[in-house]
Amino acid sequence: MTEASTKPLQTVLGEFKNISPELTQAFIFTRDGKIIAGDEECIAVARAKKLADAYDQIATQATFIGGIENLTIHGVSTQLGINSTNSRYLATISSRAADEKMIKALTCVIVPTIIELVDQTSPAESECSVIDPGQSEVNSDKEVVQVPQESAPAEQISIAPTFSSEHVFPKPPVNQFMVEKIGGLLVASDVVRVDADVVEKWSDLYGDTQILLVNIETLEGKSAMCKFRPIREADGKAKGIIQIPERILQTLRTCDGKLVMVKPVIPVVLEEQN
Amino acid sequence: MTKNANANHTETALTDIVVVTTADNEDPAFASLGASLAEIRKMDGVLGYIIRSNVSAVLDLAKNDEISQYALFSYQLDQSSMEIAKQLSVAEIESALVEGSSLKVLLMKIGENKISVFMEKNANHSAIIKRILI
Repeated sequence: MTEASTKPLQTVLGEFKNISPELTQAFIFTRDGKIIAGDEECIAVARAKKLADAYDQIATQATFIGGIENLTIHGVSTQLGINSTNSRYLATISSRAADEKMIKALTCVIVPTIIELVDQTSPAESECSVIDPGQSEVNSDKEVVQVPQESAPAEQISIAPTFSSEHVFPKPPVNQFMVEKIGGLLVASDVVRVDADVVEKWSDLYGDTQILLVNIETLEGKSAMCKFRPIREADGKAKGIIQIPERILQTLRTCDGKLVMVKPVIPVVLEEQN
Repeated sequence: MTKNANANHTETALTDIVVVTTADNEDPAFASLGASLAEIRKMDGVLGYIIRSNVSAVLDLAKNDEISQYALFSYQLDQSSMEIAKQLSVAEIESALVEGSSLKVLLMKIGENKISVFMEKNANHSAIIKRILI
């Protein structure tokens, strides 16, 4: 996994201690013992590998209980948790005083959702290192909704590309925003407003390439593509915010205050045919 | 060797409880836990239990034909939990809980005795832990 794809996991694990201070350690590792998020010094590769082995041995015999959704081990003063999502393992160590429901929400809901999201946004990385240009355009099981445009839709969406050279661009960065609902007579119902600093970073990253659309994805996996414009607020209130009109909120089945992942849609450049 | 083999016996009672023992005199702690588990077995959502010490084991499971599957799982959970605890530097395990999409299994260690309780997903495992520790 690249740094870009492990960053959301790293960020979430970093937040664990703020949400539940009783949670002392959390790390995500792979079958071969590689730590992909969390404190790398917390466990050696060989030990992480043994952890994965031990977990898998239980999992192979757990078919009659419907597989393992959650494994918790209680020591005298500590409790350990191991969960597995898409061949990645999350291990947590917390004190017995920790709120069991909170820990479960973090380990069984939040992290697996983010792992799924990371995999969806970079499926090629999770499966293999060779990117097939044809396959990179394939949309897996993800439900993607194209928000109906009030005006004429952006050109690049309707054109069937003969060759995608999207791979020559840097991978679209994924940003997490908090949803703020907007409304009013002057608000276009098909345009979202994104933190101007983030939009500027996109412009720096892609230079002359004009970015007209963003892809918004909820933590539940609903996604929509729509036009955007930067929020111009001098007092910094717009930091980490995406303002979404009611119609798109309904499409995404999300609401005010929820978190969404947003990435710019990089236009597909058609190769000139000689 | 022959003596030990002769001492092993298995009883299947009308209540579907399977008792495997190598000793005539049961450990009082084992007997007491067995009595508690018999009560727990009547609780809503509890499908059965296995209790084993170094010399005896009692199995009371709803599905007798799946005894070996339940017993193997119980053993594996015990072994793997110890390995996980060891790798994460936890000296002693009191209990382990595995939740599947349909059932969950609680493993507890009380002295030399190891208990596995099999239950439905919505069963109250906290109440079972309390009941065992009384």
